Amino acid sequence: MERGKFRFASNRLGVMASFYPWIIDIKGNPERVAFTLHRLTGVILVGFIALHIVSTNTPARAGWEAWVEEVQRLSGVNLVSILFFIAMGALVFHSLNGIRLLLVELLALGIGRPEKPKPPYIPPSLKGYQRTLIYVVFILSLVIWALMGYVIFLM
Amino acid sequence: MVFDLKAATRTPPKVVKVRVRRYNPETGSSWWQEYEVETYRGMTVLDALLRVKAERDHSLVFRYSCRMGVCGSCGLVVNRRPRLACQTQIAEVASEGRPVVELEPLYNFRVLRDLVTDFTEFFGKHRAVKPYIMRRDVREREEPTLEYSQTLDELAEYYEYSLCISCGLCDAACPVYASDPNFLGPQALTQAYRYVADTRDELWEERLRFLDVEGSIFKCHFAASCSAVCPKMVDPAGAIQRLRSTLLKYKIRLYRKTRIAKVVPPMEKREPPKPLPPEATLVEGVDLKLIEEEKPVIPVEKLLTT
Repeated sequence: MERGKFRFASNRLGVMASFYPWIIDIKGNPERVAFTLHRLTGVILVGFIALHIVSTNTPARAGWEAWVEEVQRLSGVNLVSILFFIAMGALVFHSLNGIRLLLVELLALGIGRPEKPKPPYIPPSLKGYQRTLIYVVFILSLVIWALMGYVIFLM
Repeated sequence: MVFDLKAATRTPPKVVKVRVRRYNPETGSSWWQEYEVETYRGMTVLDALLRVKAERDHSLVFRYSCRMGVCGSCGLVVNRRPRLACQTQIAEVASEGRPVVELEPLYNFRVLRDLVTDFTEFFGKHRAVKPYIMRRDVREREEPTLEYSQTLDELAEYYEYSLCISCGLCDAACPVYASDPNFLGPQALTQAYRYVADTRDELWEERLRFLDVEGSIFKCHFAASCSAVCPKMVDPAGAIQRLRSTLLKYKIRLYRKTRIAKVVPPMEKREPPKPLPPEATLVEGVDLKLIEEEKPVIPVEKLLTT
């Protein structure tokens, strides 16, 4: 920005702050990792939905045999099934974390009660049960994703 | 911020490299400059900067005032984490393995020179949420003759949020504020909730309607970095979630402020306790007069002379 002969620099981190959590030191802040993953999986899901509409459009109109042929492309290891596997992982994490976020953001649950600061100065929202829910979400989505991988690739 | 108490009691490395990201507004150039600073136990980042300024390079510019984490002027990014320079010990951020302290101006703020950032936008957003008690009776607020009554429980609802020192660390850490200049930021939203939760505030609906129209509060997605870096344990992340929940309840007509603090005359002062008569004794069978007459073990004269 210009003001007289001085130029002042903008120090905004920009969109990178949403997609790369380690741009700042996030020690003791797994919420930031969950936030980043939620954004990333959201973008993946938007792409997936667009692709899904395009790819199911023709076979859905062409009749039952074309549809079965399209669905069979999803099993076994190939490009379509790998993309489908990634999208399903995104879907599982996004939905499970979404439930946690609904609890926290709409109902203000799991963030403790306001309290007077006392050592070791951990804010109540970082001590509430939403912190436990993050780990539950991470572990559950990994387990479900692995099961999905088994179904897609091996069954 | 969760204080690393163990790290703060460590002895820092004898010499640390202080790398400062400098900026010159006249030429518009930015560069990293390195200084070697001898440390001592208990040295803070601000002490290191002051030593650099005194002994090495007096063109280095930074802002500080109270040196004890009260004024909130010395917010910096230390090793990629927003911190107060005066509250961060060198031993916390530098170790023998990596004796480097990287200092940058606060993220998401405009840099004026070196480590000094522009807070105009920050305070403008703070002002936008009307961070003061609003009453229908303006005269009662401007020329108070009486007091507001408030219970301790009501105080506890907002006390934590009233400790904010406006240092800007939360805004520097917020990923949404980084990408969206129109977002009000954790500090302003926390202060909005602080007055919505305060029972003395009567025109809370006005503030809620402003936040609803602005829509800024729905941009927060609970990355909670603001709470993780706050040096005063204000917990902006929690405040924003409570404020959003309140706003949503208000929108579907489920929220009403249950109690508005009334004005009451000042509490009558208690009479001071009457002094006990000299012959009174708390323990049965002990006479206070006898104790007074007993000679002390060390004579008073000897104590006075030595």
